[in-house]
Amino acid sequence: MTRAERVWQLLTTSFSQILIPGLEVTIPLTVISFVFGLIIALLTALVQVAHIKGLRSLARFYVWIFRGTPMLVQLYIVFYGLPKMGLILDAIPSALIVFSLNTGAYASETMRAAIEAVPKGQMEAGLCAGMSYTDVMFRLILPQALRTAFPPLSNTLIGLVKDTSLAANITVTEMFLAAQRIAARTYEPFVLYCEVGVLYLLICTVLTRLQRICEKKLERRGPRAA
Amino acid sequence: MLLEINHIQKSFDNLAVLKDVSLKVNSGDVITILGRSGSGKTTLLRCLNFLERADKGDMLFDGTHYDLHAAPKSQIAALRKKTGFVFQDYNLFINKTALKNVTEGLIAGHGMKRAEAEDIGMEMLRRVGMAEKRDSYPHELSGGQQQRVAIARAMAANPRIIFFDEPTSALDPQLVGEVLAVMRSLAEGGMTMMVVTHEMNFARNVSTRTVLMHEGEIAEEAPPSEFFTHPRSEAARRFLSLEGK
Ligand SMILES: Nc1ncnc2c1ncn2[C@@H]1O[C@H](COP(=O)(O)OP(=O)(O)O)[C@@H](O)[C@H]1O
Ligand SMILES: [Mg+2]
Repeated sequence: MTRAERVWQLLTTSFSQILIPGLEVTIPLTVISFVFGLIIALLTALVQVAHIKGLRSLARFYVWIFRGTPMLVQLYIVFYGLPKMGLILDAIPSALIVFSLNTGAYASETMRAAIEAVPKGQMEAGLCAGMSYTDVMFRLILPQALRTAFPPLSNTLIGLVKDTSLAANITVTEMFLAAQRIAARTYEPFVLYCEVGVLYLLICTVLTRLQRICEKKLERRGPRAA
Repeated sequence: MLLEINHIQKSFDNLAVLKDVSLKVNSGDVITILGRSGSGKTTLLRCLNFLERADKGDMLFDGTHYDLHAAPKSQIAALRKKTGFVFQDYNLFINKTALKNVTEGLIAGHGMKRAEAEDIGMEMLRRVGMAEKRDSYPHELSGGQQQRVAIARAMAANPRIIFFDEPTSALDPQLVGEVLAVMRSLAEGGMTMMVVTHEMNFARNVSTRTVLMHEGEIAEEAPPSEFFTHPRSEAARRFLSLEGK
């Protein structure tokens, strides 16, 4: 067997061994963390724009902590640190918690800015039309803000796909750890890491396409808030 | 008496913007509020709808007493359901069609069924000549058209009074007429209106009473026939000479 043949064989056999953790771990981890992250982000943004006193400072504190520390450190604290404090979490739940809270912190800033970019007159006009603050917020302000927030939130999602590879450090067998194990066994790090890189690239390319399609759809329904 | 405003005071930081303003409005009155920029006209209207909290003052509106400084939320919500507000820059809901702009408040605020709200919405759009634009978004409409939809929105819940804050000031001159015509027909239909405006002809020909605001106070209050021909106050005389009338 020539070297080229050997590499080709390695690529074909390892492909499914990397793809399967991708489908079973990387993608679910990304999707679930992103959904939880968005819910956390929405609540965090809302308590800030609605000036809910105690919760507002709590929200600022949370954003400050999670934006100001490396995700890798957060993963280590939760997975290796918390057990010493008596709280034992499995690797996947640990990763889900950290990725959700991280996404929540970043996305809440995006949402807050988008809500604040909606002209003040929209709220006033809604109130004058007889609606409550909450009704105006959910029926008028948030839909406008989400359109402004859509491109940056898509970015956050694409970032998250790649960041899930950090979970390899806490023993989560996602795509990167799968590739790492095969590389160690076959002594072909260049091939394997390029291969896993291409797989990440594929996922992100699909997401970018989807983002474009959604943006076109949104655009047809009028402009975003200025 | 529909509305009796007593001794409103309002400052921003240290700037006294309203210094003890009182005013009575009868049902069917069309009050035009004139005055130089910065005299407190907008602030007055906004305090009446609690978009701004007055420092002091109270009002009697449609049989209910309101503390303009300390009214509770529930009272404010109820008040806003009985009033309409038309803004200088229209403030149509950006992401809603013309019809939805009118029906949104009826459905979400007044608890009306969609079908009923749409019937009323279409009737309101017809009255302002915008029925055929029911499915247009605000950015597809001219300023005059947007303001007419905003007036339809303000009329929709059959309010006891509509406040207008310079409804034609943001418009290109050739679009002013269509909005004033709608306001005029509204006035002729008996709607009670308080209109901040720089349109002297509207004040002269449509309003039942003219109020001149000057430095946070009412400098003069008179029927337009008197106000424009025999202004009593120095402020009014100066205002009218500057307006060239
Ligand atoms: N939210 C605000 N904060 C600070 N100052 C304000 C605010 N709103 C209005 N003012 C000031 O109050 C004064 C009166 O404003 P306004 O009621 O808008 O006058 P008008 O509508 O007659 O032009 C102006 O000097 C203006 O700068
Ligand atoms: Mg003004």
